[in-house]
Amino acid sequence: MAYSEKVIDHYNNPRNVGSFKKEDDDVGTGIVGAPECGDVMKLQIKVENETIVDAKFKTFGCGSAIASSSLATEWLKGKSVAEAQKIKNTDIVEELNLPPVKIHCSVLAEDAIKAALGDYQKKADGKKPKVEEAAASS
Amino acid sequence: MCWHCQSEVTGEYLCGQCVKVQPLSKALDYFACFKLDRLLAIDEQQLERIYYELSRTFHPDFYCTKDDSEKTISLGNSAFLNSAYRVLKDPIQRVEYLIRLEAGAVKDIRSNPPADLFEEILELQEDMETFRGLSPEKDSTERAALREKLQRERERLEGRQEEMEKALGAKYQEWDELQVANADPSEARDQKNGVLRSMQEILSNRTYICNMANELLETTG
Repeated sequence: MAYSEKVIDHYNNPRNVGSFKKEDDDVGTGIVGAPECGDVMKLQIKVENETIVDAKFKTFGCGSAIASSSLATEWLKGKSVAEAQKIKNTDIVEELNLPPVKIHCSVLAEDAIKAALGDYQKKADGKKPKVEEAAASS
Repeated sequence: MCWHCQSEVTGEYLCGQCVKVQPLSKALDYFACFKLDRLLAIDEQQLERIYYELSRTFHPDFYCTKDDSEKTISLGNSAFLNSAYRVLKDPIQRVEYLIRLEAGAVKDIRSNPPADLFEEILELQEDMETFRGLSPEKDSTERAALREKLQRERERLEGRQEEMEKALGAKYQEWDELQVANADPSEARDQKNGVLRSMQEILSNRTYICNMANELLETTG
């Protein structure tokens, strides 16, 4: 099976490899994996005013998994949190021309985006309980 | 009906009329092939006995003078028999097969592996990456320390693998008891699905941990 040129490009020159501090309030982290193939993917977003200002990833896995997460970080940058929710694995499949046997790699990337957004949301919501408590007690 | 003489097939694998070998039913599963119940503790003697018996019945060597249709059937049956035997003989492959077989009745049998396991794996991967980057001459102290750490991690993972296999064994028993109990079908189905799901979960985590332990072994030598 031959990889598409785009996959090879992302594999050879992965964008945004690295990590942010997981503990930071403006960082959302998603770590996902697929036991069947042993791939594991960490994707992080940095959010300012509901906009994703930076994204980083670290993936141990096959070329398609690396390319999928690399592409995901590229797409995430500059998007609002709400827009980011709309990224679908099928968009990744289309952009990278992934063959059917590699579709699960794009699913993994979508899962990682969702997990990172979820983690960020949890932190953001966690900062607000005082307001809710105040509302509840009034 | 016999594919050759069109009479009702009365024999089990061979036609009662013309004694031609019959293709195994497409609906036949591995357990049924060996006349075993869908239990995880199987009768290994019966497995062996029927395997030899059917091997003698279907082996292509006995059909080399027969016509092409019979050759093809004997080949197909033998191939099925061999994979069935291989899968059922191995306890892990056996349960994986059982889950696939039963999964028809269970939607979404896959459960999500816990996120903390991924985190652990990711950290190990990062340590391995660092280890591979260290030079045996220049960073010998650091390298030796990291190697020791990774080896300890591997032992820990192997310990966990053993624990998981024990837990899996307990689930096997639970499954078999449910199968034998013959309780109210709809109620039992829910319980069975629960057991299948937890077996699947242990299995996928086990695969992860096995792969990781092997990779650690390869890296640290």
